[in-house]
Amino acid sequence: MVLGTLGLLAMVILFIGHKVAREHVNYMTAVEDHPLKCSSCHLYTSKNPLVRKLINADYLSPFNLAVSGDGNRLYVVAQDANALLVVDPLSQKVISKIAVGEQPHSVILSSSGQRAYVSNQWSDNVSVIDLATSKVIDTLKTGNGPAGLSLSRDGKSLYVVNSYSSTISLINLSTKEEQKRFPAGNNPTGAKLSPDGKTLVVTSRRAIIAPYGESIKSELTVIDENIQRVSDRKNIESAYMMENAAFTPSGDLAFVTMIRPKNLVPSIQVDRGWLMTYGIVILEQGGKGRIIQLLLDEPNAFYSDPFDIAITPDGKKAFVSHSGVNSISVINIDSIRSLIAESTPELLKIYSNHLGVSSRYVTRRITTGADPKGLALSPDGKLLYVAEQLEDRIAVINTESLEAIRTIDLGGPRRITVNRQGRRLFANAGHTFQKQFACYTCHPDMHEDGLIYNMAGKDMGRNLTNTESLRDIAETAPFKWNGKNQTVYKQDGMRFSTVLTRTEQFSYNDLDAITAYILTGIPYPPNLQYNPAGELTESQLRGKEVFERTHDNSGKEIPETNRCITCHPPPYYTNRKLADVGTLASSDDPIKFDTPHLNNIYASPPYLHDGRASTLEEIWTKYGTTDKHGQVNDISKNQLNDLVDYLKSLRAPLYERKDSKSFHASTISN
Amino acid sequence: MTKLRVSLISSFILAVGYVIAIFSSCSEKSLEGMIICTRVAAKLPITNFSAGDSERYIPQAQIVAVDRDNPGGSIKVLTSAYYSAHSPEISFDGKFLLFSAQLKQNDPWQIYEMSLTDLKIRQVTTTNENCTNAAYLPTGRIVFSKLAINDPLKGGHSLYTCDPEGSDIRRITFNPNDWFASNTLNDGRILTISAQVYPERKSPMFMILRPDGTKSDLLYKGCDGSLLTGSGRETIDGKIVFIESEKSNQGGGSLISISYNRPQHSRVNLSAEIKGDFRAAFPEPSGKLLVSYRISESDRYALYEFDPVRKVPGKKIYADKEYDVLEAIVIGKRQLPKRLPSEVDMSVKTGQLLCQDIHLLDPQATNIKDKLPGSSRVELIGLNSSLGTIQVEEDGSFYLKVVADTPFRIQSVDNEGHVLQGPCGWIWLRPNERRGCVGCHEDHELSPDNRVPLAVKKSPVTIPVHLNNGVEKKVLAD
Repeated sequence: MVLGTLGLLAMVILFIGHKVAREHVNYMTAVEDHPLKCSSCHLYTSKNPLVRKLINADYLSPFNLAVSGDGNRLYVVAQDANALLVVDPLSQKVISKIAVGEQPHSVILSSSGQRAYVSNQWSDNVSVIDLATSKVIDTLKTGNGPAGLSLSRDGKSLYVVNSYSSTISLINLSTKEEQKRFPAGNNPTGAKLSPDGKTLVVTSRRAIIAPYGESIKSELTVIDENIQRVSDRKNIESAYMMENAAFTPSGDLAFVTMIRPKNLVPSIQVDRGWLMTYGIVILEQGGKGRIIQLLLDEPNAFYSDPFDIAITPDGKKAFVSHSGVNSISVINIDSIRSLIAESTPELLKIYSNHLGVSSRYVTRRITTGADPKGLALSPDGKLLYVAEQLEDRIAVINTESLEAIRTIDLGGPRRITVNRQGRRLFANAGHTFQKQFACYTCHPDMHEDGLIYNMAGKDMGRNLTNTESLRDIAETAPFKWNGKNQTVYKQDGMRFSTVLTRTEQFSYNDLDAITAYILTGIPYPPNLQYNPAGELTESQLRGKEVFERTHDNSGKEIPETNRCITCHPPPYYTNRKLADVGTLASSDDPIKFDTPHLNNIYASPPYLHDGRASTLEEIWTKYGTTDKHGQVNDISKNQLNDLVDYLKSLRAPLYERKDSKSFHASTISN
Repeated sequence: MTKLRVSLISSFILAVGYVIAIFSSCSEKSLEGMIICTRVAAKLPITNFSAGDSERYIPQAQIVAVDRDNPGGSIKVLTSAYYSAHSPEISFDGKFLLFSAQLKQNDPWQIYEMSLTDLKIRQVTTTNENCTNAAYLPTGRIVFSKLAINDPLKGGHSLYTCDPEGSDIRRITFNPNDWFASNTLNDGRILTISAQVYPERKSPMFMILRPDGTKSDLLYKGCDGSLLTGSGRETIDGKIVFIESEKSNQGGGSLISISYNRPQHSRVNLSAEIKGDFRAAFPEPSGKLLVSYRISESDRYALYEFDPVRKVPGKKIYADKEYDVLEAIVIGKRQLPKRLPSEVDMSVKTGQLLCQDIHLLDPQATNIKDKLPGSSRVELIGLNSSLGTIQVEEDGSFYLKVVADTPFRIQSVDNEGHVLQGPCGWIWLRPNERRGCVGCHEDHELSPDNRVPLAVKKSPVTIPVHLNNGVEKKVLAD
């Protein structure tokens, strides 16, 4: 009797529990058939440090690499391990692991082969390594976010591309002092010196900020190495994400990887390259000095996210890594020359959008492991080394047979965690129709690409959408500018595949993985530019007062709903509620806007839901005149400057959490 | 003791049952790996494709199973109960066979499905109209061609989908064309053949469309003077193989391969050096092709294992001097294509079309003239009348909201109404479908220029244009 009662009770509890769980999972995933796996959310996205330690692993993530002059050593930047790995390519062993700064980006070697220079993107410095002893012997201070590196022709100076502050530092290697700093394009990255040492080309990734509707342009900065000054700024039309550059040995052509996005075209289909196309910019160094763009795609196959480019010493072949499709494109450079020579300017302009012309010069596609990034050729040009970032290994490709002949295991963890699988999915275009784009394409570095897309919600030309960053967004739900997605599960679920990727949706295992990665695996870089140590400047402190103020300049109390701090409380600087801030455009569906988080907001221009504000200032000077987006019209220009300075100082929630208690609503109302 | 006895007896019964089950399963040879063929004893009908005939209704055809390890052994006729049966397709899990058949000579053709486990057959479609050329979709639904009698859209065979039980039949093509020989590409789209039948008959072309009927587009239109006569099939290395016939020899043709990645400019005639005719090709996982081939017109078609690298017919697998062997497919699992999501919303009555620049022509034409001077308008032509003429924007763009599932063609006209280019082939938009093209006579390999078309800065023009006024506008409310 007792057993029967207990059994009945257990069944009732089980039934109710199952029903509650089902409803909970249905709400979180916005579907009715997601498996009832508690681990999906409560394990893989757990914030418990011990749990995270157990379910994750410390990967190496090779990003860029260099080869020694004798070809006997590879120097591999292990980005997630904050290290430079010294690898013997013959024995296929890692010989040493040299600790460098945070988030190392690039490595170059001195011409003598005695020194290696490693840019540390999150430390704002360059590690100087003595290769004989494998020791860091010096650290050179740089601008913000050092990435690409190049030595001057005489080897006495080092050019450092500061990717976050959009500048180029020229550092005297004798005095270790920064000699000059040049403005560069928006988010510059790669640097390549011409074979004659006279010209340095610096790439940039983000387009120059311009009002929506204007043709996008991205800058290639050209430095005359003889006088060490900027000699040209080439605006490359309709292209962005120019990651890296390479010169032919004769120096007649420079090649730059790039993406030609279609953000100004309504996103009504993927077919025929209506969202993204990928290719190379070719710069003629002599003659007509033409700038030509050619795609590496094919009509029904896209080669997303070109990253690095390497040219063989004989100048015959170029190799381009495509991190989104795990592939290397092999380009016949003579065919490119023929095509350029025989084509009119009008035809070349059409070729920049032509998906079929690649058959003229792409001779092979070589499959690699997950997320191929940096490339390096052996000195004789017979071997191509590929940093497979999400495999923790180096692929070795024979440049004659054009086949991968072996891989070098760098010794990372063997197991692929759910989080790592999520990162692989994030980087790979396999879940979009014809592999046209990856999550990474619009969210490079898991951030945002600075573009505004016509998402064409209902009618074309409507619903302009400023791409949002994915850094540390776990606590900032709901998602999308209209706040309609309560979870990342919904964001990346069925509707995502219907209106955006237009192919089969993620399997639920994959959805678990990519959600886990997005919610737990994407940290903010440190805000070294505006708030390196957590101590605010006087201007920032004054701006903080404006941000937190309860009364306007005339002493009148500001309604609580119209104070900055009410909607943007720390540590995420969002109250996660919808608001009307007076920025709804006639082309928008009638919605309120999800209050965006403001951490590292300095790194996310343009601003507002449709990116209409090029700068933080413009939010109020041009688009906040009605005082609906906080009461600011009474403040002076100096106060606005202070407010903007303060906003730029905001850092990752990790640093902001300690002050969060004082900003609860009850406190504010006091 | 009684319990023990019961247990022993039970165990004995179970053991006997188990042994019987094992023996009975051994006695039925699995069909896995066997080749399913269509064979025809009678003389093949002379087909005049130009007149609209096709080989979808071959009389007295049989579907048979051939053991490739013992091709000379017994041939198992799978459709002996039918007057004629052909167009076999195997399900992605390798467990079912779909085919078209006519029970008696004058019956309408219908779709049937056979379980390859017990060879039981069930009828999928039950209509008074001919249904044929069925194929599995990755969602589990079935696509097939149906001849609509008195079709208001003046088409021949249109494509329909239905659920596996034959219910929930939905039409997915809406133009006056003849659609047949469908199967599914790995990207989830339907690969099919379409030939315009109204107002004049045109040569068949390979088309692709999503299983909901959206984004219908040209894949490959064939060489001048040739005809596409049967299914195209995707190989494991990204090619599509099919048979292309000369109009003068419509019974058989050449074995052609095109690349999925670049279909319109990658044609390779695999049989250029081979005498004789090919009738069908089926790619095997090994990379070889099962082909129906005859050396001369006096021979019967037989089944060969074609080597696409060496370009030779290779080993003869199955031949019978009493039969032409016309189609072949291997029983086994296949990769499940992508299950594409659908943007179709039947509560919406219209679809939208954006053209970026009507002046844009094929790049090869740009040396001569890359603009259409004087062209500032386009006319949309319906089946029976003009649907309206609209002004294009200064940048050559136009943006339409068109009544869904309605065929139309577009031609560019000058200010006096003279036709400058066109009309193009028949287009339709599914409810809530939105699609774009870069130009009216575009190169199919051009991606759009990254600029905001002026047309999308305004509301779309409703087509037919007369619906922009009056009460009929209600029809378009969505």
